[in-house]
Order: sequence, then structure tokens, then C-alpha cells
Amino acid sequence: VRFNPVHIVLLAPAGLLGPTLYATDYLTPAEAQRILFPEATDFASRPLVLDPEQTTQLREQVHLDPSRVQLVLATRQGEPVGYVLVDQVVGKTLLITYAVGFSTDKTIRGIEILSYRETHGGEVREKAWRRQFVGKTAASPLRLGDDIRNISGATLSCAHLTEGVRRLAALVAVGLP
Amino acid sequence: VTDLSLLPLFASLALPGSAAPPPDTVQMLARIEILSRELEELKAQVAAQQAANTPPPPPPPPLPISAQAPPARPLNLWGYGEAYLTMPTRVDGLAQADLARAVFGIGYQFSDATRFNSEFEVEHAVSSSSDPGEFEVEQFYVDQNLGGAVSAQIGLFLIPTGLLNEHHEPTNFYGVQRNFVETLIIPSTWREGGVSVEGDHSGVSWAAGLTTGLDLSRWSFHAPPPRTALELEDQDNAPMQATHQELALAAVHGPSGFLSARFHGIPGLTVGASLFAGDAVPPSPSPAAHVTLWEGHCRYEPGRWDLSALYARGTFTGTAPANLAEPGAPNPLPAAFFGWYLQGAFRALQRGDFRLVPFVRYEVYDMGARYEGLSGSPPPSSYVPRDHVFTFGANVYVNPGVVLKWDVQAFQWNQDFTRVDLSLGLSF
Repeated sequence: VRFNPVHIVLLAPAGLLGPTLYATDYLTPAEAQRILFPEATDFASRPLVLDPEQTTQLREQVHLDPSRVQLVLATRQGEPVGYVLVDQVVGKTLLITYAVGFSTDKTIRGIEILSYRETHGGEVREKAWRRQFVGKTAASPLRLGDDIRNISGATLSCAHLTEGVRRLAALVAVGLP
Repeated sequence: VTDLSLLPLFASLALPGSAAPPPDTVQMLARIEILSRELEELKAQVAAQQAANTPPPPPPPPLPISAQAPPARPLNLWGYGEAYLTMPTRVDGLAQADLARAVFGIGYQFSDATRFNSEFEVEHAVSSSSDPGEFEVEQFYVDQNLGGAVSAQIGLFLIPTGLLNEHHEPTNFYGVQRNFVETLIIPSTWREGGVSVEGDHSGVSWAAGLTTGLDLSRWSFHAPPPRTALELEDQDNAPMQATHQELALAAVHGPSGFLSARFHGIPGLTVGASLFAGDAVPPSPSPAAHVTLWEGHCRYEPGRWDLSALYARGTFTGTAPANLAEPGAPNPLPAAFFGWYLQGAFRALQRGDFRLVPFVRYEVYDMGARYEGLSGSPPPSSYVPRDHVFTFGANVYVNPGVVLKWDVQAFQWNQDFTRVDLSLGLSF
């Protein structure tokens, strides 16, 4: 075959693939906090203090290691308005970092994807999919195919994120005032 | 405070050993002694007060929140595979058991933005010159994130078409074998070498790429007719299945490319379409050939239901001279082919991870919807390259990664293909 110049121009995008251009981080934790609680005036990291019984309960019931979860208290002029919990789950083989906002009544305010590293399945960043979690609590099923619908082609990411949110909802129910 | 408590000692050291101290010195020492005692009492009181009022020491500060945490290991392994038992019900002696495929994937994360993915497949258990198996590189590409939800791939990658091609693990489809439309019309698992760009915005994911194309000179005009449905799927009788090159010393006759788009903005609903087109290596003695394949698909998963539909149609140009050169050939090269299916599945039972999902599927395929340049009569054969297939069965998920399957397939035209199948599939 003889390639004409048009073919070469069409192939040119391949040459743009240089070394690291951008990361796969979509939001910083600070940005996610502000999106989840726009009315808050202050965000402060808080230690997650659980007694041994609560820790055991979470490990056995929802297989959550609370020590890896990071907790931020959102306040408005000194009054608590909610919590932001940051955790990670495995998508297919790589980690997804996400933040879940809980109101003080322990209902889910929203979910934000901070980092998504897989090459496929990134559709979980879609707002309509994440909106399904709003208003749910630890008492909700929070199961893919029940109260959370799937995205075809992103099933593993959908399933594992749903499991992660279910774990955090249990943590909030058990461990936060 | 500590220093003051030593004053009596310093005072005594300042005095000569045997000499009696003067009276004012004695008074001063006595006063120092009193002050020292009062001081000790005060220290005890303060300590007691502190113990009562001070909150417990603060716990260590939380770890800094970071979204930058890299995966613990840059090297990832995964895999999937399936083994069948397929039993034709109308013809004796053609039942077969097969470790159809064992696939292992290796990925390496060079950086947050640059990733390598690969999959290596052994088909039919044993690959050698005297065995039916094959060893294949199914994927081998570098993915470069270009910022946000846009990334580029270069290498050997899957064509984003249909519902199965990119998601072909046995846990992702119903029935022992993949449906016929996405095997015989869309040649899953279909991959080409090249470069592509893909992105995801506002509920729409899209992809576009420049790739290698097909080689119609590989078509076998005298391929033996398949005796079973398993042979139909394995023998390369299908137009694109027999002519894609899989980047194995692929002849590059001209550019091929694809476009695909998929809407997923409503949870549970996916609607998509794709187009692949390009020049192909022509079949002898044709001077040129062109390939087009387009498809549209839809999947809706409300509650326990999983409903899907797909239509695909392909065309080859440049077939007439090749068919004229093979008069009466039993397997002429088609100019058009198409297929469609409707499928419904229902999660009838779920206990934890265990799921029982019965399903039904009706599909139509025609690998010879149109021919050009036919001459002479092909030898008589009970096999025809088209059918209407009704399938029912169940997927039993032991957990999300292990599935046992059972199905029954009835064929309208090639009735001897009617069969019962069992399989084990897994994916991790």
C-alpha cells in the first residue's frame, strides 16, 4: 500500500502520546467537600474514634476496616451540618477514590468520585448514576440491581462502589453521633 | 520549680563541715526549709488539680486526606475462562467437552496517566501443531490519559462495538456460548491494531480510532460446512470472523477506522451505536474491496430485569469478481450480512452473592443476505448460513466471579444444531 499524506495526518494523534500529561484525579478532597456541603463554612478533619466493639461489628458485618476511612466534619458557623467520608474501593483491578457526604441525620447527601484509574468503567462518574444514592441510609438495601441500577459496561465499578457506600453508611450509623 | 527544690542542698554545701552556723544563717535555713515544704505541697495540689481537669491526651491526628494515593502495586493480574459441555440432541456422536478459553491479563501502571493492558488467551486447552488449540494475544496496548475523561490508546485493542465485544467475560453474558449475532456478524472478540481516542461527557461515552482492517483474500470458498453449532462458532465460517487479522502479520491495505457512541445518562439504560469502515485486502482477482459494519444496541436493567436488543449489518464490496472466479463454490463470499436479537433475563433468586438468573433469547442471523457474482450451483448441503435461534436457560452465579450455566438452543434452519449445553465460567 502507498500511504498518502492524508493518512499520515490522520495518524498524527499517536505522536501526541508523550510522558505523563495529566493525572486521573477529577476532584481534590477539598473540592468534593465544598460540592457536597456548599452551605458549610468550615471543614475539619476529625479522628474516627470507635470502641473495640464497634470496630469488630463493622469488620464482621460489612467487612470494613474503619482505620482506613478518613472523616471530615462540615460545620456552618460552628454548627455541624454533616460529615464527609473518604475511602477507596477496587474497580476491576485499580483503586477508585471517592467521597460520600452524610447529613447529620445520617442520610447520604451525595457521592463524588475523586480519582478513577481504570481504563474502562469510568461512567460511574456520571451524575445521574451517583444521584441514586441521595437520601439513602444504612437501612437502605444499597445493592446493585435492587435500589441502585447498573451501567452496562461498568458493572464492576458500579458494584464495588455500591458496596463501598454501603460500608460507609454502616460506619456512620454505628460510629458517628 | 525543680531548681528551687535544690536550694537547701546548695545552702548546706556552702557551709564549712564542722563549724557551727551563725544564728542568722540558721534562721535563713529554717525559712528555706519551710518554703521548700510549702512548694512541695503546692506542686502536689497543682498535679492533683491537673489530673482532675485535664482531658485525656488527644489521639494522633488523622492521616492527611489525599486523592493521589497510587495503587499499592503497579502490576495487576486478572483472568477469565470457560469450559463447556455441548450436546447436540438430534445427532449422535457429536457431543463435545472443551476448555474453550483460559485468558490471563497483565496490566502495568507506569504512572497515574499511563497504563499498559494486555490479555493472553489459550483456546481449546492445548496449543500445538497437532492440537486444535490456539495461543493468542487478545489485547496489548498503552492507554494514555489526556486529561479529564479523555484518553488515547495505541497498540492492539478491542473495537468498541455491540454489547459483548469489550465485555466478553463469561460472567457478563447469558447462555453457555456468546450469542450468534455477536459471534458471526460482529466477530467477538474483535480487536485491531491502531490508535484510538475515547472520552466520556454528560452521560455519553464516545470513541474514534484508526486501525488495521480486514483481509478478504483469507476467505475460504471451500470451507467444509459445520456439523454442529460449536463448529459453526469455531470454524471461521462467518464473514468477518474469517477475515479479520488480529495484528498477526496483518496486511495493511489502507486505513480503517471506527466511531462509536453510547448514552448512559439514565441509570440502568444504555443505548449505543458504532460504525466500522475501511479498505480491505481484496479477494483475488478483485482490484479493491471495502468493508462496513454498523450496529445499534440497547440494554435496560430495571430492578430484577435485564433486557437487551441489538442489530448489526455488514457489507463487503469487491466480492463479484472473486465469486465469479469460484463458480459453484460451496461457501461464496457474501456482499451483505446481518443479525439481530432480543434477550430478557430475570433475577429470580438472590441470597447474598448467590444469584439464579433464567433468560430467553431470540436471534436471527444471515451470513449471506446478499451475494454478487454467483455462477454455477453449489453442491447440495443441509447447512445454510442463516438461522433463527431460540435459546432458554439460566446463569447460576455462585458469587459474582463464578457462574454455572445451562441452556437449550433450537434452530429453525439448521435443525441438527439443536443442543443442550452446560458450562463453568469464571472471571477475576
